[in-house]
Amino acid sequence: MRAILPQWDLNLLSQPDITAILITLQLALTSTVLLIFLGTPVAWWLARSRGVAKIIIEPIIALPIVLPPTVLGFYLLLAFAPDGIIGQWWLLATGKGLAFTFSALVIGSIIYSLPFYVQPLQVAFENIEQSLLDAAATLGATPLDRFLSVVAPLSSRGFITAICLAFAHTIGEFGIILMIGGNIPGETRVLSIALFDHVESMEYRQAHVLALGLLAFSFTLLTLVYTLNRRWQMRFTSQS
Amino acid sequence: MQITAQIHLTRASGFTLAVDLTVKPTGVTALYGPSGSGKSTVLRLLAGLEHTKPSDQILISSDAKIWHDEKQFISPHLRDIGYVFQQPQLFPHLSVRRNLEYAIKRRRGNHDLTLQQVSGWLGINHLLDARPTSLSGGEAQRVAIARVLLSGARCLLMDEPLGAIDYAARLQILPYIDGLRRVLDIPIVYVSHALDEITYLADEVYMLDQGRVIASGRIFDLASSLTLNSHEGDAVAAVIEGVVDTHDPDYGLSRLTLGSQSIYVSLCSQPPGTKVRLRIPARDVSLTLQAPLQTSILNVLTGVVSDIETASAKPSLLVKIKIEDHYILSRITRKSLAQLELSPGKAVFIQIKTVALLTDPTQQVSLLS
Repeated sequence: MRAILPQWDLNLLSQPDITAILITLQLALTSTVLLIFLGTPVAWWLARSRGVAKIIIEPIIALPIVLPPTVLGFYLLLAFAPDGIIGQWWLLATGKGLAFTFSALVIGSIIYSLPFYVQPLQVAFENIEQSLLDAAATLGATPLDRFLSVVAPLSSRGFITAICLAFAHTIGEFGIILMIGGNIPGETRVLSIALFDHVESMEYRQAHVLALGLLAFSFTLLTLVYTLNRRWQMRFTSQS
Repeated sequence: MQITAQIHLTRASGFTLAVDLTVKPTGVTALYGPSGSGKSTVLRLLAGLEHTKPSDQILISSDAKIWHDEKQFISPHLRDIGYVFQQPQLFPHLSVRRNLEYAIKRRRGNHDLTLQQVSGWLGINHLLDARPTSLSGGEAQRVAIARVLLSGARCLLMDEPLGAIDYAARLQILPYIDGLRRVLDIPIVYVSHALDEITYLADEVYMLDQGRVIASGRIFDLASSLTLNSHEGDAVAAVIEGVVDTHDPDYGLSRLTLGSQSIYVSLCSQPPGTKVRLRIPARDVSLTLQAPLQTSILNVLTGVVSDIETASAKPSLLVKIKIEDHYILSRITRKSLAQLELSPGKAVFIQIKTVALLTDPTQQVSLLS
């Protein structure tokens, strides 16, 4: 192998970069798993609710789409500080500070990626006819049973899109992490920040490796989402 | 299971629904009325599928258990009911077989109907591996009925189950629903705006209009009611129930008994002893005071005039006649009424020109003259 690879490929990724990639994957995975549990009920509520509360909650959840990440990061930083609303509570519960920790990144990512997870799912949920759920109820299915046996399988496209978008979005986030995570190697130094550091220090070769890697990853993921969506669409429409 | 409901609710649109009803433990209770009369809302309230406001007054109970009042609300999945919707509502992500198994897995009560029995009976065996979206309307609705039967429901609620399918498929499915009525020991509440379905299936009928019950009672009583039929013109027909007695394939006839008298219809497939419904149009019933001799009309019965429609400017009117325990209607001219000097209590001979056997839809009308 060594003989055929060009010399500069041998140290394609430095140890700190590998650590940053692992931290990033860990962050994206943790946030996405938590989002599935937190975001799914939110999406369901938004899809079914007709009340006044929805008018206020819906834009709040969508805010991260339009807000500069630094704005969100700034407020989160204040909240995560030892005397901030969340930081205070965190200190009480765990005995440790919250700002500039991996946990802070997870909380920030969940808030930041929430609309990317909730919106595709909400659309999928809205497309499920209430009468189909009524039918399941009159066959004796409990609300949770109805969700798992009817809603979830019929929204599988929405779930895949939501999970991929949330995962990819967390992998690529930068501004908010810089504000609340700092740049602590092995704790909060993620891929996008490592890339920024390389560019700052004029290490374009390493920057290229990370940037191209992210590009390839995002492209692959989106291709996967679209392919799966198309296949699902065919499966449900080819039957009629 | 017996269900009682007292419903009084108003909608933002101004629509008011005020209905009291009792669903008897067996047989078909039909809610009949034009669209917008509130009959589907009543059914959805019985199922617990309809949203209500705190200001609505609703009391629904099954046997001694409260389902819905100002304090309690039992969710639909705890009511042990089965619901057949106008659209079949099959789960599109499951095959027909898996749709049926969905009901079996969540079965309430312990009856022993199997998937094979039910799908054989409803003629859907060949569809078990199909996707619901590939079925015709009639096939899908038969699967939906099978699914409800397998769910172990203690009461069947059917909301215009034939409303979305074509005429030929309707004729195919009606006998199955009629079969349910005969075989199942549970109440069926049947909502429809189609009079032929009601006369074919219903035992008890609630006629609804603009959110109110305008008449209720046994189908036989309503069908022979002079007041309900006074504006119906040529469509007026009484419904009676006879029992199959003998078959005469040589002449293509079956003899039914009506108490101690008998009536001929064209040859039917039901075995002797089966109760069948007959529809007798009032315009095909004529009355004489003497026994008609050497007539081509096969069905000549005896009865007593029970009631006569109040005379109006119209040339004809309806006469209600009692034959044993059955009531039929005859449309005669006012002139005939005067000539025969008919009055309640007078014995008459009844000539019936056409009889439609309702329970055998393969031969809707049989002309017997």
